[in-house]
Amino acid sequence: MKMLMKEWKLCMHPTGYIMLFCTALILVPGFPYGVTCFYMGLAIYFICLTARENHDASYTLTLPVSRADAVRARILFCGVLEVADLLLMSVFILIKYAIGTMPNPAGLDAGLALIGEGMIIFALFNMIYFPLYYKDINKPGKSFLFASIAVFLWITMEVVATYTVPFFRDILDTPDPRNMLDKGLYTLGGLALFLAGTAWSIQTSIKKFDSVDLSL
Amino acid sequence: MDSEMRSPLTVQGLCKNYPAFRLENVSFSLTPGTIIGFIGRNGAGKTTTINSILSFIHPDAGKISFFGLEYPEHDREIKKGIGFVSAGMTYYTRKKLKEITGVTKTFYPDWDDGAYRKWLDSFGLDEEKTPAELSNGMKIKYALALALSHGAELLILDEPTSGLDPVSREELVEVFLKLKDEGKTVFFSTHITSDLEKCADRILFLQNGVLKADDTLENYQAAWRIVECGNEIPPDLKQAACGSCRIRDGYTVLVRREDAVTFESREASLEEIMVHLEKEAEEA
Repeated sequence: MKMLMKEWKLCMHPTGYIMLFCTALILVPGFPYGVTCFYMGLAIYFICLTARENHDASYTLTLPVSRADAVRARILFCGVLEVADLLLMSVFILIKYAIGTMPNPAGLDAGLALIGEGMIIFALFNMIYFPLYYKDINKPGKSFLFASIAVFLWITMEVVATYTVPFFRDILDTPDPRNMLDKGLYTLGGLALFLAGTAWSIQTSIKKFDSVDLSL
Repeated sequence: MDSEMRSPLTVQGLCKNYPAFRLENVSFSLTPGTIIGFIGRNGAGKTTTINSILSFIHPDAGKISFFGLEYPEHDREIKKGIGFVSAGMTYYTRKKLKEITGVTKTFYPDWDDGAYRKWLDSFGLDEEKTPAELSNGMKIKYALALALSHGAELLILDEPTSGLDPVSREELVEVFLKLKDEGKTVFFSTHITSDLEKCADRILFLQNGVLKADDTLENYQAAWRIVECGNEIPPDLKQAACGSCRIRDGYTVLVRREDAVTFESREASLEEIMVHLEKEAEEA
């Protein structure tokens, strides 16, 4: 908890707050809503970049904590931001339904399945970004590039799938409350992937960070 | 084992290989309540040694213990007892000092707010300022205030006086002496040897990754003499020389005390010893 507070008070970058409110793009018609999750990835990159510029690692590693504690805190803190992003996304989905929704031609409609989609995007981001980042914390841009390519490929595939793959086109990309069981299962699958992927990311990142020599 | 238990820091056989540099078999043990000067030119391996001590890098061989405790099993206990200050590093430059302190203190059960206030007052630090608004000397003093308020018994300082004006350096030397009076151990890396002549009890001299000397300041200085000569170094002096430097009117030559009896010589300053030995190493 102390480490999470340290992340929030000393490492949080203003884009973290700004990108949370970019979930309001859900209200925009004809937009690939998965991109709002990418914006949070961008905020995470800025957090890591700011940490580097502020010599956060050398400060943290002189505190009575282990390297594993430092890694766990950073990824969990980013995980909290991602969950907050999805919660806010849910709020905007409800607002969109309240003011009247229409089909989205650029990927999944705003609805339950989109939350599952967001979890898959975050799982993908966490599994690629953090293990690469903790291999060399002085190069957060390189890991962000690889994670961004993977996320955009997934978002592109998802948009294409809403036209070509029957499960996406006929079941997931429909207005709620149609096909809620399938959408619920898809979202649960996304949640499982998000939790397992983030846990895997933490373990892998700890191993990488434990073995590197830090040039601080 | 007993002396190792009492020593704030014991380093045994520390080795680290890089493609262009090797730290070779560095060993030393610190005595509590003393100031130890860790000297050597830039690139000699001082920061590599300190990074190994702080576990920022993984040594290829060697053992490091603090009051008998070792990494990684006693990681947290060790870090509670040490304070690290580096001139080149400033944390969170745009955060107010009070915010940084507010976070830092939560990690130390033995944090002493009274001591913190005392050090802030004594250093003339304003908590409403950010590190970006502080001079280099004040940044170091803030880092010291943090380290001293969590009860660090061993202070590891990496080039703390680099880039400071003579008055600020003098002030810091006074702080180190005050800390020594309070029983703290100060391990102080620098290439500004004149600071050490004012405060150090002991000198560790690192040259090209090898610890060349580990002695008291007095003994170390007494072991060397400087001979001044004209534009030609006599052959017998050349034979005894452990390095020579060109000066305006000729040369200064470093010789061992026992070899200096046949020459007119004077005391060698720490800087002269280091510079001459480095010149000799370069020429070799």
